Amino acid sequence: MGENGAGKSTLIKIMTGVYHSDEGEMLLDGRPIRVNNSVDAQVYGLAAIYQEPMVYPDLNVAENIFISHRSQGVIVNWRKMYQEAEKILAELDVNLDVRMPARGLTLAAQQTIEIAKAISLDVRVLIMDEPTASLSAHEVEQLFKLTRSLRDQGVSILFISHRMDEVFEIADRVTVFRDGRWISTLPRGEITHERAIRDMVGREIEDFFAKRVGQRGEQLMAVRGLNKENVFSDINFEVYGGEVLGFAGLVGSRRTDVGLALFGVEPADSGEIILKGKAEKIHSPEQALRVGIAYMTEDRRQIGLTMPMSITSNISLPMLHQYLSRFGLIQRQAEEATAEHYRDRLSIRTPSIQQPVAMLSGGNQQKVMLSKWLNTRPQVLILDEPTRGIDVGAKAEVHHIINELAAQGLGIILISSDMPEILAMSDRILVMREGRQMGIFTRQDATQEIVLTAAMGQDRSPLETA
Amino acid sequence: MMQRVKRYFRPEQLRELSLVFLILLIFLFFGTQIEGYFSPRTFNRVTSDVAIIAVVAMGETLVLLTRNFDLSVGSIVGLTAFFTGKLLTFNPDLLPVGALLFAIGLGAALGTLNGVLVAYGKVPSLIVTLGTLAIYRSILVAFPAGTKNVVTQDLPQWLLDLGGMQLFSIGEFDIKPVVAVGLVMLVIFQLVTSYTRFGRRLYAIGSNPEAARVGGLPSQRIVLFAFILCGAMAGLAGFMFLVRYGNLTPAAAQGMELQGIAAAVVGGVSTLGGVGTMIGAMLGALMINLLQQSLLRWLVISTFWVGALLGLMILISVTIDAVIINRLRNIWTQQGLEINPVDETKVVNEKESHDA
Amino acid sequence: MMRRLERLKSWEGFLLAILILIVVFNIFTTPHYLQIQNQINLFQLHIEKIIIVVIMTFIIINAEIDLSVASVMGLAGCVMAYLFEQGVPFGWCLLAGLMTGVLAGLINGFMVAYVGLTSLIVTLAALIGFRGLAHVLLENRSVGNFPDWFDRLGQQPLIGPFPLAMIVFFVFLIIALIILQWSGAGRHVYIIGNNRQVARYSGVNVRRVKMTLYVVSGTVAAIAGLLLAARLGSMRGDTALGTELEVITMVVLGGVSIFGGTGTLFGVLLAILIILNLRNGMGLLNITGEIQTGVIGVLLILSVLGPNIWRGVRDAWNRRQRIQRMHVGEE
Repeated sequence: MGENGAGKSTLIKIMTGVYHSDEGEMLLDGRPIRVNNSVDAQVYGLAAIYQEPMVYPDLNVAENIFISHRSQGVIVNWRKMYQEAEKILAELDVNLDVRMPARGLTLAAQQTIEIAKAISLDVRVLIMDEPTASLSAHEVEQLFKLTRSLRDQGVSILFISHRMDEVFEIADRVTVFRDGRWISTLPRGEITHERAIRDMVGREIEDFFAKRVGQRGEQLMAVRGLNKENVFSDINFEVYGGEVLGFAGLVGSRRTDVGLALFGVEPADSGEIILKGKAEKIHSPEQALRVGIAYMTEDRRQIGLTMPMSITSNISLPMLHQYLSRFGLIQRQAEEATAEHYRDRLSIRTPSIQQPVAMLSGGNQQKVMLSKWLNTRPQVLILDEPTRGIDVGAKAEVHHIINELAAQGLGIILISSDMPEILAMSDRILVMREGRQMGIFTRQDATQEIVLTAAMGQDRSPLETA
Repeated sequence: MMQRVKRYFRPEQLRELSLVFLILLIFLFFGTQIEGYFSPRTFNRVTSDVAIIAVVAMGETLVLLTRNFDLSVGSIVGLTAFFTGKLLTFNPDLLPVGALLFAIGLGAALGTLNGVLVAYGKVPSLIVTLGTLAIYRSILVAFPAGTKNVVTQDLPQWLLDLGGMQLFSIGEFDIKPVVAVGLVMLVIFQLVTSYTRFGRRLYAIGSNPEAARVGGLPSQRIVLFAFILCGAMAGLAGFMFLVRYGNLTPAAAQGMELQGIAAAVVGGVSTLGGVGTMIGAMLGALMINLLQQSLLRWLVISTFWVGALLGLMILISVTIDAVIINRLRNIWTQQGLEINPVDETKVVNEKESHDA
Repeated sequence: MMRRLERLKSWEGFLLAILILIVVFNIFTTPHYLQIQNQINLFQLHIEKIIIVVIMTFIIINAEIDLSVASVMGLAGCVMAYLFEQGVPFGWCLLAGLMTGVLAGLINGFMVAYVGLTSLIVTLAALIGFRGLAHVLLENRSVGNFPDWFDRLGQQPLIGPFPLAMIVFFVFLIIALIILQWSGAGRHVYIIGNNRQVARYSGVNVRRVKMTLYVVSGTVAAIAGLLLAARLGSMRGDTALGTELEVITMVVLGGVSIFGGTGTLFGVLLAILIILNLRNGMGLLNITGEIQTGVIGVLLILSVLGPNIWRGVRDAWNRRQRIQRMHVGEE
């Protein structure tokens, strides 16, 4: 365990020979080994499964398992390969057609292929880097079952995760890293949540979530019967000023898709979006911005910020037209003034607003992204996993900012997979499951159990409070 | 039943079948338009030309599979044809095998330069081969050996015989050595790409380069080999070119890279890597060449339409691939999953019994 | 970015040093080198290419490519020449040539921006197809004898010592410089080149930007084609064949990454000057055009390979230094 930047991923890459260490040694069975590349790792029986499974979409399942085998002959014996692949998958108790291409498999199925690959290599140490990050609860359950059966067969497993509950459920011993250093290793019986957090952060965090008393204002947005074929159907809710509306659900519940539809990136097929009593048809992000909707993505690196460009140009981007002179030239001073304003307001820690975003820490990047969307002066701000992958301190700061924004009268839609976060931050919680709305719960009614039950699909009459 | 069909019959094959169908359609259409079209002569003429383009296209396919480009093949074909011709002019006693090996070796050497620059120099293949396209051609032009052209009179007799020879005939349909070479290459490389480790790794690298790197595939070496083989195939095509035409100027085979890429793309090889077969590339070459040859004999429109049609065909092929075939492939695999889902109930049940 | 910026700066410095070297060499070897007429000739011989270089810079920064520019040049000229041959009034011929370019750009832009195909393959198809159409129009004829005023425009000075094409180039360059470095549209071009997803999610109309770039590219290529027709005095089906190689070389040599997002027009201008002077020097040494093209090819590869090797050496050096420091620290 450890926060982002604690050095876990780098360590794995060194262990599997993707990166090289400057010093130190690695012992296997008490003997020092050198892993210079992935081939060495194969020889020693080390294998890693990454958060994003590394499959080849154009090859079929069996080939995906065997393609990087060192021992694979020059000539491919397809029949033998299919048989062996089927055998391994049967051992794992999964039923995949080994002749189908990997394209189109679910993430969980892709991970299964990776595990099958590791087994086929007679793995002795299996490293799993946040394997559950994008799995649904069912899939996590399945993965844990596989993991336990591997353990019982004598495979050592390094399980890396942010989710403390999972670590406590699956691990026999827990090691914590911080700032590239080893902090502690304890048996599961001896470690507590508080101890783990303290080791990860380096200090005790008493008030994890800032409590807030909401003051509900006027209705800003109402959504009626929003539909998108094969994605989600019949979504209905209202957003009020000064309120945080949480969107809870498992992965695959299509919460993000609703956000994208509201922001016009992937517009809905039918249904109404009413803003301050006026029905609007939102078909593009430009138009969503014009009517006062902003959407902050969960994927900071790929779609949130242009990493090599400056803080200033990232913040001004959606509103660039406001910084143009009559001839379409950028007025740098105005642009920089805005950036300075947000640097103060959200306390973005940087030597200069001309710094490329890539040089900032994850938490500060998150604040730049927040600034970018606040600068569009939205009425409704959709935040998709705003605290994913940032450290505990920055997380508290972001929570603070969200509360402040709500206090200023913004309507906030908070999409989050972090159950304690969504329970603590939201005034009301909308729960989705597989593209359907399971109900809206008020803060008083919502407990972890109720929300999870709704998210996982057991019947329970939701308490509608509009 | 449907499951079995889906398992063994893929959208890729559907695409190749429709290509065969289209080729037949073109053939029948021109049969009604051109007098004496359904004759062994048409067959003989088309097959010889297709063989050369197909060899180039197959080499190009190896490179395209790895998500790279080789724009220099036209220059390699021209260079090897020209230099082999010159070599035979000055050394008429050279054994045929020697000349063949010279051509293939020269092509492989030029391909090696491309491959080293792409795989180890980390220069994008577009840049490298756009550069070598010009460089190889200018080496040819700068070559100071006597007269600029290769002419049939200077070439040894065996080479000229090779061009007109018939290996065997079925009725009046002749199989020339050039055609036989093309067919042998097709068989060899179809087998290489589907039954060897090297071949499958070409697909893997093009399909997901990042996974190939992390998974420990020797990507650089494989890409290098793809370029070397592509160069060697172009060298072989150069030799075939010399055998077929005999008279060469320094502009020989100019633009053949475009025909090679066009053939591969029309045949269903993706420029995004990981998708395509040798049979597809051959079918693409056949279709393009049949169309070209037929237009030459069709008097209704000018033969100059050949180039314009080629461009249009590429555009239509990639559009169809992007819009229809890709969608089809996604539907295909998704349904495949529904047929064989991960058995969740079983897992859940076991979990429950475990808890109890 | 800082590091990339530094690299860029030093890359431009490097280009400047090479340029000075070549110019000094030319001054001492060529008697009339510094005379204004010689400088104008230097530009005039390749003026159509460098006009296209300006718009190609935008396209490559935007992480796309347009391989079809040479074919569009040829096609626009051929359309004009064909209509002229058929007796259409010359003004209409010119307009038709220009519209050919607009149409070509619309086709490319539509395929790339709206159908979503890779620009490499789309413009490769366009390269083949448009060149084919040029051959369809003129077959293997050469069409010339355009009105005198047209030939004069192409061959003789218009304002002071400057011919029309050079004025067009400098006007384009200045407009482009302002747009790319200081305008909102220019910022959009860079951002899309860096990461088109970010741009789309920030309300930038990515498709419109790409479409505009391709239409402008087609139009500029058509203008260049017409200027070339005026300078040469005649058109053939294969006029301007292979020009795209040199255009792309100039852009890439100027420090624009082929993956988009970085580079400046200043660097590209330096690259233009270097290649023009290099060509001039080679011409004086009686090196033929075909071989000059080969040298350009070498330059194209080196302009990417050079920085790669330099970076590799520097990384290895830094690594060694770090390890050494660590060992010193231990003792």
